[in-house]
Amino acid sequence: MAEPSRGLQISRRSWLIAGLLAPLFPARAADSLIVTFDGDNLHISSLGIHFLQGKSLNRLKDGSTVEYVATVGLYRDQFATQFKRSERHFFLSYDVWGSGDVFAVSTPGPPQRRAANLSLSAAETWCLEHMPVATTGLARDEQFWLELELRTVPPKLSSILGPGGIHVDLLDALTPGSDERQIFRRGPMRLVDFVVTRQRGRAG
Amino acid sequence: MKCAWIGGLLLGSLLLASPQDSDNNINSRYTVETVILSGKGWTTDLQSETTTKISTDLLHDLTALIGQKLNPSHLDTLAQNLKKELSAREVIHRIVRGDVPEQVRVEFEVRPARASLGMNVTQFLYNSKQGFSGSGEAALTSGPQVFALGLVSNGDWLPERFSGVVARYEDRSLGTGRLSVKFEAETFHTQWNQATVAAMDTNPLDVPALYRARQAFQPTATLVLFRPLTITVGARIERFEDQGPAGQIAGANAAIADLHYHRSLEGSGIQQDFDADCSLHSATRALNSDYVYSLRTAGVRYQYRHGKHVVLDNVWGGYITGLAPLSDRFVLGNAEYLRGWNKYEIDPLGGNRAISNSVEYHYGPLQVFYDTGAIWDESQPIVARHSVGLGLRESVFSLAVAIPIRAGRVEPIFMMGILP
Repeated sequence: MAEPSRGLQISRRSWLIAGLLAPLFPARAADSLIVTFDGDNLHISSLGIHFLQGKSLNRLKDGSTVEYVATVGLYRDQFATQFKRSERHFFLSYDVWGSGDVFAVSTPGPPQRRAANLSLSAAETWCLEHMPVATTGLARDEQFWLELELRTVPPKLSSILGPGGIHVDLLDALTPGSDERQIFRRGPMRLVDFVVTRQRGRAG
Repeated sequence: MKCAWIGGLLLGSLLLASPQDSDNNINSRYTVETVILSGKGWTTDLQSETTTKISTDLLHDLTALIGQKLNPSHLDTLAQNLKKELSAREVIHRIVRGDVPEQVRVEFEVRPARASLGMNVTQFLYNSKQGFSGSGEAALTSGPQVFALGLVSNGDWLPERFSGVVARYEDRSLGTGRLSVKFEAETFHTQWNQATVAAMDTNPLDVPALYRARQAFQPTATLVLFRPLTITVGARIERFEDQGPAGQIAGANAAIADLHYHRSLEGSGIQQDFDADCSLHSATRALNSDYVYSLRTAGVRYQYRHGKHVVLDNVWGGYITGLAPLSDRFVLGNAEYLRGWNKYEIDPLGGNRAISNSVEYHYGPLQVFYDTGAIWDESQPIVARHSVGLGLRESVFSLAVAIPIRAGRVEPIFMMGILP
């Protein structure tokens, strides 16, 4: 009896490659991303985005600093041709003596910005509010797609230094946590379709 | 020299780059109340207890956290060092509330080992007179057992530059945990400096022949006699391929025994460490050795640490009787002994008598040192040499300029790299 995969012309090698590559593309549903426009910059709403979770949240609650890199890319087509890219770094920590679950966030300077005593969702909102994307060069009736990538930064060099020299644990390095990289997408959109307000307008 | 400047700038940037983490973590405003280590079936509160499971240096680094403002980025480094020393699968650190408001407890949880695969760079050194030296290995660790395969190219330690492959298997805890065994195999290709070749031409009878390659196998067992004192016994079986056209093989088979004593005293913010070693390598006809010799070394190292101030003294000496292969002869004028002097200028063939003393003072990453030593052969006069130097040392990174003290001219030697 023929194997089902043979009948579908999918080899075991293809399954293996697909299985290995799947964690590299953790794109989330496009509909969950809410984008607003204030006339100059695009803003991403934190509604529907919860990136402080899983392993990173555990690290935060254990008292570690977790550095997030948020990258917003604008594309002329369906996530193939990028024409604008914006990147911000955020340092998050969890206040062990805080009343309730409270977090602190800061950005590297200058100027360094920081906020403390934030709830989990307020910390997520603070990060996204501090990464506007300028729309210069984008025609108002031009279609574009937007991709938000959030990833944590791996441990710094200092953690691989030991009394015996430099040590890199290959198994640790090759097995990042599943929540270390998240991608959110939205598109197609046009600036002309946004309701522009000083308080920021919402698309469509 | 261009390499030296590039390396210096790179190392300087590493040393001067302050970790941002302490600024970015809200908990850095709290004071560390205590540090707790825990593993399967054991817990140690370092505020009131001590432990022999880890090295005294690491223990000192951990206890130094108590009473200080929390530096979260430093905890990653300490967890990594604990993981390595305890051969653990993982070491997780947590910051939890202390008994007193605004104070925190730092907890390190050691999770038992599983198989792990790691890459180690154990040495990477640039010496402006002797070039680059480096060694690295890939190590598979499963519990106390380690299998490692590495590459070495070293022009610093011996009269030769040796390059090749090393393999190592060790079991760090046999039976009651007081016994460990290690099997090391190595094969090296050898390159000789012109100064060594010239010295050999003028003095061929007093030292053994040059060789083009050597292979060695060294099984050893280490027993903890009582906690500060360990003894290592074993053998070293080595063969040398003569550099001549006939390519004759000569063997140096030796029984080896090393004693090591370590004592650490701590109190009132002061830590004192005392290390003493002595070793004997004896190659005899009874072991089917072509080279018949006896090599004895002894060394004492004392370190005093108070806050950022560290003073250390390292005295070492050794002598060889009989005819030892060049790879066993002593060398001064490298990155460890009599820094600043060029080993090929002092004694290009190495010596069979040597004595050395180094005094160092460190304030944080800054270091100054004064080295003195002499190397000679049995029939030669003893000439004492001195050198001074200064540099930076942070973790395993080192950057130093050393100047030999002599009349006439100043020729500093620049050294930088990773030195365990």
